[in-house]
Amino acid sequence: MKAIAALTESFESTLEIEKDGIKDLRVKAFEEFNKTGIPTRKQEYWKFSDPSVILNIELNHNDSIIDIDENYDLILCNGKIVKNQIKSKTGTVSEGILNGLVEKDIFESKNNPFLDLNNAFAINGCYIDLEKNSESTIRILNLVNNEGGEQAVYPKIIINAGKNSNTKIFEEFRVSGKGTNFINSVMNVSMDRGANLEHVILDDYADDTYHIANIYAKQKKDSNFISHNFSIGKKFARRDYNIELKETGANCDLNGLYFAANREHIDHHTTIEHIKNNCTSNEHYKGILGGKAIAVFNGRIHVHPDAQKTDAIQNNQNLLLTDDATIHTKPELEIYADDVKCTHGATIGQLDDKAMFYLRARGLDIDSARRLLMRAYVGEIIEKISDNEIRNQMMDIMIDKLPKGDE
Amino acid sequence: MIKIKNLHVEVEGTKILKGIDLDVNAGETHAIMGPNGSGKSTLAQVLAGHEDYEVTQGSVDYLGNDLLDMDVDERACEGVFLAFQYPVELPGVNNTYFLKSALNAHRKYRGESEIDAMDFMELISDKIKLLNLKESLLKRPVNEGFSGGEKKRNEIFQMAVLEPKLALLDETDSGLDIDALRVVSNGVNAMRNEENATIVVTHYQRLLNYIIPDFVHVLVDGKIIRSGNKDLAIELEEKGYDKIIEGIKT
Repeated sequence: MKAIAALTESFESTLEIEKDGIKDLRVKAFEEFNKTGIPTRKQEYWKFSDPSVILNIELNHNDSIIDIDENYDLILCNGKIVKNQIKSKTGTVSEGILNGLVEKDIFESKNNPFLDLNNAFAINGCYIDLEKNSESTIRILNLVNNEGGEQAVYPKIIINAGKNSNTKIFEEFRVSGKGTNFINSVMNVSMDRGANLEHVILDDYADDTYHIANIYAKQKKDSNFISHNFSIGKKFARRDYNIELKETGANCDLNGLYFAANREHIDHHTTIEHIKNNCTSNEHYKGILGGKAIAVFNGRIHVHPDAQKTDAIQNNQNLLLTDDATIHTKPELEIYADDVKCTHGATIGQLDDKAMFYLRARGLDIDSARRLLMRAYVGEIIEKISDNEIRNQMMDIMIDKLPKGDE
Repeated sequence: MIKIKNLHVEVEGTKILKGIDLDVNAGETHAIMGPNGSGKSTLAQVLAGHEDYEVTQGSVDYLGNDLLDMDVDERACEGVFLAFQYPVELPGVNNTYFLKSALNAHRKYRGESEIDAMDFMELISDKIKLLNLKESLLKRPVNEGFSGGEKKRNEIFQMAVLEPKLALLDETDSGLDIDALRVVSNGVNAMRNEENATIVVTHYQRLLNYIIPDFVHVLVDGKIIRSGNKDLAIELEEKGYDKIIEGIKT
């Protein structure tokens, strides 16, 4: 159990550099984490993804930074802010977890050991406070740098979207250097009344990456959270969305596109809590899997007794390029109100033979025909991005990353 | 242009074509007529290269090459064009993008560079008029939400853009009203020249009033039982297939 030993040693060393007065909360979070430790497949939510693979990595905490200046408004390196050019009229960015945030439920344990673990290592962090009524587009690079060896990093971004603020965030996760990374990232979003936040996130790692990501969003009245999640497979990737529609009229759209090939593993668990009446959610995830890749999609919609007139739509579609690729897809609807509209669907299919013949009969070779069909397939998700520039950029990136069938 | 010799074809063990012999020269239009299930669509699909059909005997020479040895896309790039009886809908694939990809695939095969964007727009606006298609269809996904007539016209429009040497029209008249039939036929006729050839597969004679064939062949139970000129089509229309088949037997 070298991983846990390294983890504990890492944690203890961070206590010496305490700076935000949240030491007690961190200690408590670490205790919470230790109650369960790294989960195993025996737990329902980890049935198809075994996180114990992480135990083979020496979980040495690393928050060292490198000098990097690229065309982003905000750059984090191993969780630390290294560049911030967000204009003051948009909002303010602060390093570390502010005392004022502690009262909010950032540190609340939610039966999620990876949230607890991230909180235990919350010595850096980044807090973005978006001014009410502000309009902005923010590009964030969340860089993980490894000088070699095995390391653990705990990026944490907290976003407070002020009343009627209107924000587009493009966030890119990238790994540089060499070595094995365990990334345990958390994003906490609180949305005030009437706030709009469109979040585009792209994960594209080096192969030797294990990523467990959690995104939490709490939404007030008439707020609108639009998420576009683009994941390209790696050794082990898991991203959970936990959305709480806490007040009437809130809406969330969860759009996702995932690719995996070879022996990659990719898992998405989403939970949408419809807590109050007249809220809407619209979820559409699509995957393309090649080689011996394994993907998991688990979409939970929980309609609380007060959430009358809920309108929830969920759809998961999968394209399998090989016989050896696997998808576990599961909708989970828990409904305690009677006047609601909830629909869900899941499909698994291959590229259409008739369409392939038609394209080839017009002169396209097998590879071009496949790519044209896959382009159409992914286009449906990418086209949901409202910003032209980001949409075109994502289209180019995702077309370039389309999995090949035999890998 | 194409020499079919003793062609036998099976699908999942069922014999469909039982020895077809057919020579088509450049500049000619041949009509293949026959009752339902006679194998005429199979012939068109096999020539285009559909992989569900197994050729068990015979040969097909196309411009001096073994057609049966070529992949589907290779045949297309060599100038074989199948106008589908049931054009496939391609959701999310923009019609213009599709046409451009197809044309560029042909150009790449011939060792030419990709077509210039302006030249391409000019080309398609010329050809689309020929088929009397709405320009708005160019912006839509291929065949999705098209009416039956629009789908068939879109096939001939693609043919006009790709300019094949050998066009195989598989039941292109089915589902067309008389006006659309005229438009489609005019489109096909406008493309006919001394360098190319057309094989029209049809159940009814009416298409042949517009696309006048040089030769008519009657296909029954996987074999060509009679060949003649355009008058044979008229005779068929008058007497029906049964009479012709009986006439052969007795």
